[in-house]
Amino acid sequence: MMRSLWTAASGMKAQQTNVDTIANNLSNVNTTGYKTQQTQFKTLLYQTMQEKTTTANGQQKPTTAQVGLGTRVGAIDSIYTQGAPMANDSNTALYISGTGFFGVKGADGGTYYTRNGDFTWAINQNGDRVLADSVGNEVLSQYGTPITMDPKIGVSDVSFGTGGEIAYKGLDGRYVRTGESVGLFQFANAVGLEKKGSNLLAANQVSGPAQNEATTAGIVTSKISQGYLEGSNVNVADEMVNMIIAQRAYELNSKAITTSDTMLEEANNLKR
Amino acid sequence: MVKGLYTAYTGMVEEQRRLDVLSNNLANADTVGYKKEGTVNRAFHDKLAIKIKDTGNYMNAQNIGKMSLGDKIGETYTNFDQGNFQVTDKPSNLAIAGKGFFAISHADADGNQTIKYTRDGNFVVDRNGYMRTADGDYVLNQYGASNSNPNAGNYVRIDPMREYSVGYNGMIYQNDQAVSQVGMADFEDYNYISKYGDNLYGAENGAKIVATNASIEQGTLEASNVNVVDEMVEMMTIQRAYEAGQKFIQTADTTLDAAANTVGRV
Repeated sequence: MMRSLWTAASGMKAQQTNVDTIANNLSNVNTTGYKTQQTQFKTLLYQTMQEKTTTANGQQKPTTAQVGLGTRVGAIDSIYTQGAPMANDSNTALYISGTGFFGVKGADGGTYYTRNGDFTWAINQNGDRVLADSVGNEVLSQYGTPITMDPKIGVSDVSFGTGGEIAYKGLDGRYVRTGESVGLFQFANAVGLEKKGSNLLAANQVSGPAQNEATTAGIVTSKISQGYLEGSNVNVADEMVNMIIAQRAYELNSKAITTSDTMLEEANNLKR
Repeated sequence: MVKGLYTAYTGMVEEQRRLDVLSNNLANADTVGYKKEGTVNRAFHDKLAIKIKDTGNYMNAQNIGKMSLGDKIGETYTNFDQGNFQVTDKPSNLAIAGKGFFAISHADADGNQTIKYTRDGNFVVDRNGYMRTADGDYVLNQYGASNSNPNAGNYVRIDPMREYSVGYNGMIYQNDQAVSQVGMADFEDYNYISKYGDNLYGAENGAKIVATNASIEQGTLEASNVNVVDEMVEMMTIQRAYEAGQKFIQTADTTLDAAANTVGRV
């Protein structure tokens, strides 16, 4: 009896995590470069209730009578499908089509990766004009260094090629390449990247090291589009369906707890 | 009289166990690849009741009839019906349509490798290109699955930096070339499948692995096949059967009370 109480409680706890994840997806439905997450469950251990079991016609079965002890959250997976390109008037809005990530240098000096290409030209502490994200982290070039630009060049005179190559409009109206391009990095297992908040991801053991698209041979390179940002890939209809399932599953498990409780009460009332 | 008390008691214990199994179904109503479980009750073997010390029939025992003194678990069964598909668009999510299981090389805490089977196709491709479950166990290729060989040489491995597509037979293609095949196996007799937890099944001694003609759907997961209506109705049945057992015990108790305290009163 206590077994069913705890089993149902494990189900309620798991569904709570499920709703937490769904709520996070929904709140990030308009976050640039956000990748939707999904909660996956696994069964808990099985106990043997009775050693000998028989089939319907009375023959001995090779397995024991087992009862499962509930569920647990197995994994919360990110789903790295491509988000839709959203037109943006900013000249430094970049959209990656493909599996690459931008690299940025965080405030703590570490390297982080992001799909959010909402960049601006900013002045760093050395007085250089560098490409940075909205909180001021410097964007890395294909050499892993900050991308600098002459302060005299107008923002609208800088163009980014499909490979991320940076060029600016010279005095004669022709574009001059700076030799730098926006760095793009890929991971063997992008799902394993560690989430740091603020749209930033960090490489770790699971994801494998960052592989620079410019220097790794035989890699399938991504393409950059200027003037677009990547929309979130959260599908609201999916999330609503998942939310209905989660709520009903939560309710069901609470009913199982109520039933267990009623049965316990009846057992208590045996002795009058 | 006391006999009836114990018969009702076995019934109540049995209903408790049925609720335990049912709660597990409800807890796993949203678990990928979960298969509904149920309990079948079985009456104790019939006992022949005879009159004792009845010499009316030339010292032969006088039969009254047969009676059963309670019930126990016959079996816990698993309903291996197909669950519905949930589209995730994640390339490493696979679902099996039809009968069959993915074969997994499972390493226990002591490092022993055994084969486990699962319908949960929520896999990832790690940085070395190995296809693994969410818990880190390796997925076996078709050779490993058919020959029950969990060695490292039989893991599914692909190039992690390239896109891949999985065909209906589990064949994985990269650059228009078949690089590996996700292994599937089936059991001749599902009675030999035991549950391990973590969405895994084990094979009991005597299990026979056979080939399967099930197909694989890429970018989908198989949802749990628990039917909520069935479970709710069964939960009501269990609760009422439990109540009936309780009422019977109370009745037996009242009768015993009368026998002990009223009949003997002068």
